[in-house]
Amino acid sequence: MLATSFFGSIKMKFIIEKTLATGGRLGIISQANRQGNVTLETPMCTLFTKGGSAPHLSIDMLRRVAHVPEVAVMSLGALADHHETVAEFGKGLREFTAMSNPVIFTTLHDASAAISPGKNDNSGVAVWGKGGKIKLDTSLFMKIQESFCPDWFQAMSDGDTDVSCGNKRLVKSVDRTLDFLDEIVEAKNKSEVLSKSSLIGVIEGGFSETQRKRSAAETVARPVDGFLIEGFEKGNRDVDLFSLPDFTKILSFTLEHLPTDKPRIMETVWSPLQVIKAFKLGVDVFSSAYPHILTEKGLALVSDYSLPPLSQPAKLELQTANAKNEETNGLYIDLHNSRYSEDFGSILPGCSCYACTNFTRAYIHHLLKTKELLAFVLLTIHNFHQYFEFFQHLRLSLKSDRLNELEDYLSQQLNSGLDR
Amino acid sequence: MWKMATSKNSHALSLNILAKCSTSKARACAMTLPHAVVDTPVFMPVGTQGTLKGLVPDQLREMGCKIMLGNTYHLGNRPGPELLEKAGGLHNFMKWDRALLTDSGGFQMVSLLKLAEITEEGVKFQSPHDGSEMLLTPERSIEIQNSIGADIIMQLDDVVHSSVSGPRLEEAMHRTIRWLDRCIKAHRRPSEQCLFPIVQGGLNAELRKQCAHELVKRDVGGYAIGGLSGGEEKSEFWRMVKLSTDLLPDCKPRYLMGVGFAVDLVVCVALGCDMFDCVFPTRTARFGCALVKTGQLNLKSKIFAKDFRPIDSECQCSTCKTYNRAYLHTLANSEPAACNIITVHNVAYQLNLMSSMRQSIFEDKFPEFVQQFFTDMFPDGDYPDWTLQALASVNIHLR
Ligand SMILES: [Zn+2]
Ligand SMILES: [Zn+2]
Repeated sequence: MLATSFFGSIKMKFIIEKTLATGGRLGIISQANRQGNVTLETPMCTLFTKGGSAPHLSIDMLRRVAHVPEVAVMSLGALADHHETVAEFGKGLREFTAMSNPVIFTTLHDASAAISPGKNDNSGVAVWGKGGKIKLDTSLFMKIQESFCPDWFQAMSDGDTDVSCGNKRLVKSVDRTLDFLDEIVEAKNKSEVLSKSSLIGVIEGGFSETQRKRSAAETVARPVDGFLIEGFEKGNRDVDLFSLPDFTKILSFTLEHLPTDKPRIMETVWSPLQVIKAFKLGVDVFSSAYPHILTEKGLALVSDYSLPPLSQPAKLELQTANAKNEETNGLYIDLHNSRYSEDFGSILPGCSCYACTNFTRAYIHHLLKTKELLAFVLLTIHNFHQYFEFFQHLRLSLKSDRLNELEDYLSQQLNSGLDR
Repeated sequence: MWKMATSKNSHALSLNILAKCSTSKARACAMTLPHAVVDTPVFMPVGTQGTLKGLVPDQLREMGCKIMLGNTYHLGNRPGPELLEKAGGLHNFMKWDRALLTDSGGFQMVSLLKLAEITEEGVKFQSPHDGSEMLLTPERSIEIQNSIGADIIMQLDDVVHSSVSGPRLEEAMHRTIRWLDRCIKAHRRPSEQCLFPIVQGGLNAELRKQCAHELVKRDVGGYAIGGLSGGEEKSEFWRMVKLSTDLLPDCKPRYLMGVGFAVDLVVCVALGCDMFDCVFPTRTARFGCALVKTGQLNLKSKIFAKDFRPIDSECQCSTCKTYNRAYLHTLANSEPAACNIITVHNVAYQLNLMSSMRQSIFEDKFPEFVQQFFTDMFPDGDYPDWTLQALASVNIHLR
């Protein structure tokens, strides 16, 4: 196994600006793209995409969203089938999909969806597209990456494990993932095209400390540029991982076994509060599948992430008063609810997104009731805006040492909601 | 009789004829409505329920769209006229500040609801929501359209399928005139909304003539030609269109309802129609079909899997400036965003077609435009017979 690539390359770097006692880091990823001219601030989220496009949004509409993350995550399920087309196109996935995000990150699975388990074996893994299962082995996987030419790519991994998996399954998952990684590293070293791409190693091991430790140690020993931690659930199962007894312990344990000089990524569907919990343990990069999932359900984020300046009194009381009028959990509202049918206010008063500055709750309620596409366009814009803005506030709160205040503020909003 | 044209100020519409084709009956006008000055000939995209296939009004504005349609039947059900009044009308509700047109709801009722029954009073139907018996009278249709607040509203007409003839057709024509008088009487906002009567009479030339003669006696701001989008023989279709435009006064707009295929648009502009609407361009986008000057591209088809050109390299729409066909091929099979993306192009295609015709009328090169259009659409010269006949009737002879 070669330690470094044969081809000289610009290396993605992770620089820590501040570390919390709990393990969370405020950091910078420099030289994040293939050209080496993009710098990212962490904690951050990526742009969740479907088939290489922001869900429901054309590029024209995505331009109307502020603070779109620089990193667009494109999962192989919907795209793997088209790798020959992209190869013939010859300019990689970013230009093929016409996305303008400077960093394209290819992952295996759609973060918003569940994974059908039991389809992986020693020869490869299955990903899921509209046409059904696509079986990838490392050589096809690398061929796809060469044609897609991503800035970051997740190494192929066997991650369909969860809390119910026994040791035997977890050992297999770790072993397979490491075997795949070795083959991928070898192929990457021979690939001029991928020499500038960052390889993201994948940490498995389910809920076993032994396997997590082994997976981390072995992956760290290989030339990877960042880590993706998975294997806690089989895709998105609508489960709050933090409610599982050992999750926090195992995640924390896993992160302790990773070096501090590389970014840690999780694709889990997480609300802002869950993001804060994971961030505190040391996760740097998050998915934005959460706002997408709310959108699909007709839900709109309405929590307030902005901490008042220290000189001003807390605005929690006002928020609580608002929440009392709404059937909400304090974090989002359900615009299907007929209580909004004559509500001519914006989704979230004060929100500066394109949907809120132009349209009313009553209109979106009507669009949902009539199953019109525009409902999902507008909800995507609002929910993305709010989620992206949350990450801005998260970083601000860290810079001003007020993370706990932000977390308390969010949990108070959650508790102030009536029914879930 | 129709020379007793009324003063322009009594209607919420005024028409300024800016240029006329010296060969055919095509004309280019400026139609002034409360919310927009609309350039005709115009295609009006259909936003049935207060939205157009996932597009925001800004996108339509950026494409130069000045007028779109809403459907009274749908909007009357949801969100309902009471809510629309509270919202300050459909314009406010959907944030569209340009012109709107609503239909009467009758056509949709008869075509969507099998149990609709037409009496002198109105259209009786079963509510699709609770099965209760409902009645759409001319008065009720206008009342709902007054609440919606579109710039142009339609009379309730007695719609019969184009295959119907004989006494039922004759009854429908006469009833349409009686209902027009009831609509005019019920109209509460004539200075803000212009009411269009509808020329009916099916495929019967005599009945259409009678109907048109009666309509032009009434004081209205424009005319619609109805009952001609139901799959009738094209040879009869164009004759009925021409007969209607021949009888309608020059000084008012003529709206050919439900027609919007490119070939039909070009022929009917030549026959003197000014306004068109059709769900086809937006509906077909949903199935991955993009409109181009040679016809349509079914982007779901494998032949586009490795086609890296835009849908139309000459089109200036955001879709054509952004996406290639091969990527749209991958999206069209799976993602809802594809529908928005292709709809943008299809609406742009329709609007471009109309503005090109308009430009050619200004330059008095409309016959040349028609020839080029047909050469592009039928490169082998296999023009449909009806188009040859229709165009020849207005002195355009295709080569
Ligand atoms: Zn908003
Ligand atoms: Zn276009």
